[in-house]
Amino acid sequence: MIGLVVRRLAQLPIILLVIYTVTLTLAWSIPGNPLENPDGRRPSPEVAEQMLRQYDLDSFPRFYVTYLARVTGIRYARDAMSGTIEVEREAAEAVGFRAPERPVFDFGPSLQYDDWSVNEIIAGSLPVSIVLGGIAIVIATVIGVAAGVIGAIRPNSLADFATLLVALIGISLPSFVIGPVLLMLFAVWVPLFPVSEWGTARALVLPGVTLSLPFAAYIARLTRFGMIEALASDYVRTARAKGVSETAVLLKHALPNAFLPVLSYLGPATAFAMTGSFVVEKVFNIPGIGQHFVAAVQNKDLFLIMGVVLVFATMLVVFNLAVDLLYRFVDPRIS
Amino acid sequence: MLRALVVIAILTACLVAIGSGTSSPRADLVVYNGQEPTTLDPQRLSWIPDMRIARIVYEPLVQHDVLDWDAPVRPATAKSWTVSDDGLTYTFTIREDARWSNGERVTSEHFRYAWRRGMLPDIASDYAAMFRYVRGADDFYEWRAEQLASLERGESTFADGLELWAATVERFDNRVGLSAPDEATFIVELKEPLPYFLDLCAFAVFSPVYPPLVEQYETPDLRTGRLNRRPGWTRPPAIVSNGAYVVADWKFKRGLRLEQNPHHWNRDALNVRTIDVPSIGDPSAAVLAFRTGAVDLMTDVSAPYRGEIVRDKLAYHAEHAGEIERLRALGHDPYAIDAALPSDPRSRAHIIPAFGTYFWNFNCSATLTDGRPNPFADPRVRRAFALVIDKRSIADLVRRLGEPTADVLIPPGSIAGYSGPKGLPNIGDAETDAEREAIIGRALTLLTEAGYPDPSAFPVTVELVFNKDAGHDLIAQVIAKNWQEHLGVPVSLAQKELKVYREDLKNHAFITSRAGWFGDYADPTTFLDIMRTGDGNNDRRFSSSRYDELLDRARTAADADERMAILAEAERLLVEEELPMVPIFHYVSMYMFDPQRLTGMSAHPRAKQNLFLLDLLGDGVGDDRPRPMTRASAQVAPEGSP
Repeated sequence: MIGLVVRRLAQLPIILLVIYTVTLTLAWSIPGNPLENPDGRRPSPEVAEQMLRQYDLDSFPRFYVTYLARVTGIRYARDAMSGTIEVEREAAEAVGFRAPERPVFDFGPSLQYDDWSVNEIIAGSLPVSIVLGGIAIVIATVIGVAAGVIGAIRPNSLADFATLLVALIGISLPSFVIGPVLLMLFAVWVPLFPVSEWGTARALVLPGVTLSLPFAAYIARLTRFGMIEALASDYVRTARAKGVSETAVLLKHALPNAFLPVLSYLGPATAFAMTGSFVVEKVFNIPGIGQHFVAAVQNKDLFLIMGVVLVFATMLVVFNLAVDLLYRFVDPRIS
Repeated sequence: MLRALVVIAILTACLVAIGSGTSSPRADLVVYNGQEPTTLDPQRLSWIPDMRIARIVYEPLVQHDVLDWDAPVRPATAKSWTVSDDGLTYTFTIREDARWSNGERVTSEHFRYAWRRGMLPDIASDYAAMFRYVRGADDFYEWRAEQLASLERGESTFADGLELWAATVERFDNRVGLSAPDEATFIVELKEPLPYFLDLCAFAVFSPVYPPLVEQYETPDLRTGRLNRRPGWTRPPAIVSNGAYVVADWKFKRGLRLEQNPHHWNRDALNVRTIDVPSIGDPSAAVLAFRTGAVDLMTDVSAPYRGEIVRDKLAYHAEHAGEIERLRALGHDPYAIDAALPSDPRSRAHIIPAFGTYFWNFNCSATLTDGRPNPFADPRVRRAFALVIDKRSIADLVRRLGEPTADVLIPPGSIAGYSGPKGLPNIGDAETDAEREAIIGRALTLLTEAGYPDPSAFPVTVELVFNKDAGHDLIAQVIAKNWQEHLGVPVSLAQKELKVYREDLKNHAFITSRAGWFGDYADPTTFLDIMRTGDGNNDRRFSSSRYDELLDRARTAADADERMAILAEAERLLVEEELPMVPIFHYVSMYMFDPQRLTGMSAHPRAKQNLFLLDLLGDGVGDDRPRPMTRASAQVAPEGSP
């Protein structure tokens, strides 16, 4: 158990290093100067050169090394040990300045949003996405499991057919269709919910439902197949034979086993719901982290691209690990 | 099972609790401002939406009266100024009651500090070039850039970054023509007379910053001497500003809350208590928010169905054509006219001329980047191609956004005291087929004169380069069809991704391309300078000694009228003879607001909005009186308006 955790955590830096190298190489090759306003005046070549040099953007190897040292905290550790931070502070104070604050894991500045550091941007938007993704996964699990169980009780019945159909629609219809439809229905025509707002419980409903639907649909199908299989198994027949009530058979005996595939799906699903909500964030104007994946690439905001990719990768690995650990509690056969 | 339900319930409650509880009540006025501000650091400003916010948060020496059709420059933080006879020295007197939002006095030293930031290569201001009119600024900029580079290379005479910084401050103090003899006096010495210098002073980039705050966030690197810029001082709680409103709250990608600056000298003139500037990523969602009343004013409408909104508005105007004519004759501005008409949701869209022009570039260099000779180096060829572009079809049938066709580069009526040339006709202007044929005939004659009697044997395939967004493809198709049909030349369309397109333009790697330009200050040179030989924005590589000479003559012209006449001649050369680009249409700005409820918006073609002028009518706060556009220079104000 502990061995597994240690092993998986030891893999994390290697995975992240590979992701870092590949992403940075790709992001670096995007054409254009990230420091130029695409609609504005073109800065003179000297200004453009100054801007690039300021962020090490004029040399790939230098950027690769300095940024890596920055995000991993190596630079902070090195400067703290050699006393540079202290010297800088004293020198700055001697001429009446306050020394720059130095975060341990420094994701650097945002090139597009001059007034924010990537640390601040991620710290502000990650909780939003975690809340939204969390709500969506809760909704998806409740709807999905309920629909799956209903379908499995009488396979090929009308109820089963209906839930399968809804599941199919949920999987096939993209959220950029469902989102605006829900908005038109429940925000514009019947103004139950706000159009574009964040920070109230009411504002969570429509985006939460929209984001949950594809997950709910998939969970419904997983549950249904799991339940049908479980209901046909020997231990369920035994339970019925000894007179256990049908509700107890379904919920106590069949469901826990049918839930296992759902559980393993929930790990990556949660990570995806929390970071892959780009479309939903766009439609409902939610200040989450998903939008940065697309916007940062379009703006060639290198620091922000690297920041969100590294955070996402870490989350994915950690969630998968969490599911593996949970599995052990639910299914005693795995050790 | 019960346990599972309890767990789910607790989990949901926690998530909802985290997700809610941080929203504040709606502000009096909610303004959709396009995109999330990229910066509110005055010297780092570059985007128009950012400047719109910066103009109410910071106050430069002077401001434009945007509710005057001439947009004259008026006192702001400076209460008065004098100009020396040679036009080289400006002495501003800063008002005693000018205050920062923390109550401290705004002094001349603060302006000097802010302008120094604009001149530092390490701040890398997009508008650094605008500061170069100050005496010594050019040398200072180049010296600093050179010293930074030599310190990095290890060839410097400076031991470390702090030493270089001290030398930089000293050099600025001694050699740059900015001085602050006392708290209220700010003296600017220019390297040459600049008739529109006051106009520049009204530009948001020339706003002051509060040095005790900024110094904490900008420290010279110990080794390289470069200023390390840390974000944070442009946001609450740190921000200290001197404009009419202060930023009370700014959450990234969620929005800004602006409140009245309690220390502002002119706070009694404000008519709105609080302003929200929500960040709405999706343009269509912004229109929805406006329609549900969550937004009061949109300063930009870029939803895909923008065309429909324009059509509705034009239809609404067509229904009331007679009444509109009557009101216009009375001298009413467009918003006053809409406010006087019967209330209608369609009347809430406003299409106002903007200070920009959409045009099509010709590469004017003698050879193309691949070494082939360039037929477009000959102005006759460029003129021929310009004549056969049907601009009316592009504006009325393709764009359908209410944009006027353009035959000149500088939007007519946008600069007081300047009247530009007429420009070339095009086939879209022709009222009869005969007229149309005559224009096409003229184009073919020009091509023959240039040595291309058989256009189908044109030496190059005429490539039209454009980026794939915003409907440029449709415009390119019309132009390509015009050239192919009327001239018979081979054409090809080259759609590029935005960044690739920009690189191509910068490297002059195109034959013809889509382009556009917005002016920054009220002088023809804001448009004309980009056609000057060697200008950094001269993508066309246009070079005409006659043109450059005219611009040089204008620089030294003593008389303002004479100067404008010379510049008009320069523009005539561009749009009637040389045609390094073909103007297609002038841009418009689109706003959405209820004209019966909101007043104080400018209809001036410069399209600058000073949001501190806004007033919600009937809310019991402020004047609650309509604020129409006026013309102070007019002898008699139009009378008899109801």
